[in-house]
Amino acid sequence: MTLADAPVITAALEVRDLEVAYVVRGVDREVLRGVSFSIAPGEAYGLVGESGCGKSTTAYAAVRYLPDNGKILSGSIHVAGDDVIGMNAEQLRRFRATEASMVYQDPGASLNPSLRVGRQITECFTLLGQSKDEARRSSIAALARVRIAAPESVMDRYPFQLSGGMQQRVVIAMALACNPKLLVLDEPTTGLDATVEAEVLDLVRALRSESDAAILFIAHNLGVIRSMCDRVGVMYAGKIVEEGPSQAVFDDPKHPYTVGLLRSLPRHGIRKTDRALATIPGTLPLIGSALPTCVFVDRCPLASDVCRTEVPPVVQIGPAGDRYTRCHHADRIDDLEVESVTVDIAMLAASEHNPDVLELSHVSKTFRQRGNSIPALVDVDFTLAEGETLGIVGESGSGKSTLARTMLGIETLDQGGDMALDGAHLQGSTSQRSASEKRSMQMVFQNPDSALNRSWSVRRILVRCVTKLTGLKGEEANTRVEQLAAHLRLTPRHLDLKPRQLSGGLKQRVAIARAFAGDPRIVVCDEPTSALDVSVQAAILNLLADLQVEKRTSYLLITHDMGVVRYLADRIAVMYLGRIQEIGLTDDVFNGPHHPYTEALLSSVPSVDGEATLRIRLDGEIPTPANPPSGCVFHPRCPRAIEGVCEVTEPPLLEVAPGHSIRCHIPIEELRILQAK
Amino acid sequence: MQRLASAIVTLWLLATIVFLIVNVLPGDVGRKILGPFAPKEDVAAFNHRLGTDRTVIAQYLTSIRRVFTLDFGDSYQSGQKVTDIILPALFRSGKLALLAFVLTIPISIAAGIFAARRKDKFADRVVVNVGLASSSIPEFVTAAVLLSVFCVNWKLGEVFANPPAGTSVIGQFRYLLTPAMAMVIAYFGYIARMTRAGVIGGLQSDYARTATMKGLSKGTVMRSHILRNALAPTITVISVQVGYLFGGIIGVEKVFNYAGLGSTMLTAVGAKDIPVLQGAVLLVGIIYMMSTLLADLLIAYLNPRVRLEKTR
Amino acid sequence: MSDLGTSAVTGPEAETGGFETEIGGSAPGPVISERKQARRESWRLIRRRPSFIIGSAIVSIWVVCAILGNRITPHHPLDFRAKDSSGLPALHLSPRAAFPFGTDATGRDVLSRVMAGARDVLKIAPMAAILGVLLGVIVGMIMGYLGGWVDLVLSRIVEAFLALPVVLIALLAITTLGRSDWVVVGVVAVLFTPVVARTVRSAVLAERDLDYVTSARLRGETGRFVMFREILPNVSGPIIVELTVRIGYAVFTVATLSFLGAGPPPPSPDWGAQVSEGFRVLGAGIWWTTLFPALAIASLVIAVNLIADSVQSVLDAS
Repeated sequence: MTLADAPVITAALEVRDLEVAYVVRGVDREVLRGVSFSIAPGEAYGLVGESGCGKSTTAYAAVRYLPDNGKILSGSIHVAGDDVIGMNAEQLRRFRATEASMVYQDPGASLNPSLRVGRQITECFTLLGQSKDEARRSSIAALARVRIAAPESVMDRYPFQLSGGMQQRVVIAMALACNPKLLVLDEPTTGLDATVEAEVLDLVRALRSESDAAILFIAHNLGVIRSMCDRVGVMYAGKIVEEGPSQAVFDDPKHPYTVGLLRSLPRHGIRKTDRALATIPGTLPLIGSALPTCVFVDRCPLASDVCRTEVPPVVQIGPAGDRYTRCHHADRIDDLEVESVTVDIAMLAASEHNPDVLELSHVSKTFRQRGNSIPALVDVDFTLAEGETLGIVGESGSGKSTLARTMLGIETLDQGGDMALDGAHLQGSTSQRSASEKRSMQMVFQNPDSALNRSWSVRRILVRCVTKLTGLKGEEANTRVEQLAAHLRLTPRHLDLKPRQLSGGLKQRVAIARAFAGDPRIVVCDEPTSALDVSVQAAILNLLADLQVEKRTSYLLITHDMGVVRYLADRIAVMYLGRIQEIGLTDDVFNGPHHPYTEALLSSVPSVDGEATLRIRLDGEIPTPANPPSGCVFHPRCPRAIEGVCEVTEPPLLEVAPGHSIRCHIPIEELRILQAK
Repeated sequence: MQRLASAIVTLWLLATIVFLIVNVLPGDVGRKILGPFAPKEDVAAFNHRLGTDRTVIAQYLTSIRRVFTLDFGDSYQSGQKVTDIILPALFRSGKLALLAFVLTIPISIAAGIFAARRKDKFADRVVVNVGLASSSIPEFVTAAVLLSVFCVNWKLGEVFANPPAGTSVIGQFRYLLTPAMAMVIAYFGYIARMTRAGVIGGLQSDYARTATMKGLSKGTVMRSHILRNALAPTITVISVQVGYLFGGIIGVEKVFNYAGLGSTMLTAVGAKDIPVLQGAVLLVGIIYMMSTLLADLLIAYLNPRVRLEKTR
Repeated sequence: MSDLGTSAVTGPEAETGGFETEIGGSAPGPVISERKQARRESWRLIRRRPSFIIGSAIVSIWVVCAILGNRITPHHPLDFRAKDSSGLPALHLSPRAAFPFGTDATGRDVLSRVMAGARDVLKIAPMAAILGVLLGVIVGMIMGYLGGWVDLVLSRIVEAFLALPVVLIALLAITTLGRSDWVVVGVVAVLFTPVVARTVRSAVLAERDLDYVTSARLRGETGRFVMFREILPNVSGPIIVELTVRIGYAVFTVATLSFLGAGPPPPSPDWGAQVSEGFRVLGAGIWWTTLFPALAIASLVIAVNLIADSVQSVLDAS
């Protein structure tokens, strides 16, 4: 192996030719097919790849915490020179207590729900031989170290009384208790809100300078990896196909898969009017399928005969010896064409003069719970033009999902607001709406597994929807379904399958087909790609863009992904605690001057492009809608709040430029100066 | 507090259901009990004595009042107060039930944990299948088999569970052990299987992973992290069992000729002594409710989330 | 044999099958066959489990006995009296070649009576279980789907029912209503309803918040359609499991009731009644009149539970 020149003794983690299989019904299904990498002390190494590529298995194998059916077939793992695979139970326990630590996705579930935080942390220190009092003092220090303001009071709380960001800090504090040689971070910020994610990542960055732990960072978000890691390994089907310094890999990928992955991301601020996103043809191979030569060969645009007959060599790139790619055609990577399918811009551009389809005025939604009223949506006004996409961004509790549900009539809006469809008053509740109104507004959900009835076939799902929405019956409905399916590039064979027999991308196509069954005027897309892998996401975004051009449908696009919203949306509304804080054309919102919250949101997104973002940081936690702050609801977290004003009165949503409104006391000119780069 | 209020509502519903069952057929209670050949006057007098000649509403109100005052009226058969008949019988059954529970709970929880730690191994299958079989067999069947094998063939226990008057506590234990064993076998399966499921869930949980990765030993992870969370369903099952136990105990008492609540009820069935039956059913219902209440409190104690969110 | 033996499981399968073909009626052909195929797959997995094979073998033996009754028993279960060499009634003969299970207090053949006794319990228990599950599904579906105050009120009632031990309340009901097969079926069914309803409710609650239900509402489906056509097929797994488990419990309950004297009247060869007659002479060393009917009860309940267990493991896994 060409990596052999990395000195074994100094590596904090040294993984060599690791092969791991899961035993499913007595058969070994190989998930790792010879993984090798090493991490030096103090270095951060990222593993990226799509679901099923084996990155998490690698991480768990490194600390010997594989599921019961997981089996290490061959290879070696050394942490600071100790052979992890050869350890007996007691050695393994000591290894975990003193040498390796882990931080997990979903910090809420990772903490014991019925023990106080204090007890869970002190445990780590008593394990190291400290007395109770010492351990308590160390625990308070550990919590302070992860920037928890009042460690004593946090010690007395239960995990569920803390926010997600706080929980993750506690887990990090526990992980650092033993001053580990290896720290594994497994999707540590997935599921956290953008501003909270930024805080946690800042914390990890700061802690790195205080410790010489080697970090193995697992994330599917390429931006996170780029901003956190020194080096990165790109995994595909259980193999690292490319490795090198993160900046180099992301800016100048040398493996066809890395190239495809990066091109399918909406990056560098591209818009749907610029070009369609590139996609990777084919689908991920199933876990355990036989891939004797190049793992990527079936989907590779450069594949030739040699790729199918010979294992690709490890090709060193550059003189530094710190990069390699596993490809027969490493020299031809630069020949890969950028697919430039241009969208019918003329059609899109015309949208500015289109009539409004939907108008919301003073729409509020208040939930009642045990006598408390919870304002989830407060005085929302906007219009949606024909063929237009309005993006809604915001964090949890912002009311974006409530907005969608209220529009669709799943929730009934409060008295005093009004909605109009094509200028005519629209009833609040779905059940009171006419058939044509129901037909006009449909939805694409975040999770296709939940959105499709799993005991119905695709055909039945679509036929029912066509029948119900258009009144077509029998053979006519069936014909219409087949046309619809063909339009969404679903084959007739797909129609007779159950949702669980389809891949995530195909399921989402079915869900989109269902939404389009009755030629709707408006489709609400609630995080339509966040459950999908990057390469699948690109295809779905392209599809949505194509359908819109063709059908003149309006979209309300709810998403937390700034790249996605920038790509697809014509206008963007930024929501916080049920209020629209800013609304305007996509370019205006992104380029500013913008609302301080928008500013914070944009600067909290780790960019895969490595573009320097002006970083303003938010303090404190997202308040709950049940108990909103006085005045401007954003003032407690706002770094630009004006004392004596912002906490007293709520600013109005003022139009600062044509079609661009901001809810802020700070005059636009001042914002422009403050936010100038 | 809210839990207590809902218990009262449940108690009222319980009384109503029992009243409905007893009164679902409009008809002459006196005639039903005294038989078709009794003179008309006797029947009328009987009905008057029982209060069954009053309107349904009046009878209903009486029956509800009785539940809350724990006064179930008088026996049709002997004229004694129902409580005077039931409570001593309940006390004797309670002894048997308590013994059964004291034996069952530790054995079955231990077996459940043992099986969970060896999930899908041979020992686990044994526990699971023995548990399935044991909870499948009606108590009276187990009791009859135990009686014939242990007490008759091997002479290890007493054929009759009623200890002679004045027997010491230890002596009573000897008499009650075999019938209690029948009940232990019946309840072992449920509790062991539920414990096993809870512990397996705990072993696979993220928090157990965190604890293991901290470097805690397997035993510590089980004791201080998993059990506390995993035992909640077991506690619920045990509390529910308390109610079933009083159903199953009837058969066991009959087999061992034990003068407990079961025997009292069977006598009442034979004599169509409805107030006694009604009283016994309601009393068991109340015991059941108290045990679930206790279980809820215990779960709330173990699980701070339940506790803290309720009081909020 | 397997035709009869599997009835406990094909019962529920056929049940939901009926539902599905009815809905499937509006959809084109391939849909139904594909659905059947998926069901056939889990059916095949169930059939391969040893616990299912053992369970259904035992159940089928009893079903055969119940159907054929005294046509296959060695002697008539009611009328036959064993005689000794001198022509006197041979009472309480211990098991021997002629009478493998011995004879009882009146000289009847215990084997014949145990075989014939299967009918009494198999006549009542499955019916009670099916009825109870049917009612429970309806109530649980309504509780889970409608939620709100309907759920609140029904939950209270269910909780009150759960506080009533089945055997006790059945004794009370049988005492007041008089004993008949229908009363036993009805009482057991009603007492099973709340338990089933609770299971179904929690399964429905998990489904109700899924987006396919929202989607159905967005296109204007009625509550009944959503409940019984969208949600029901997705909760059919727990319902089938519940049904098999309930059949086991019903056998258990019916046997206990007849042991306690609320079963069919004396000459009947009912198992519980036989144990009840037999156990009094256990003290005299006459164990066979008790043990064999007792084992019959145990074998049937265990067999049904083995089937339930294998159904559950397969459905849980998929």
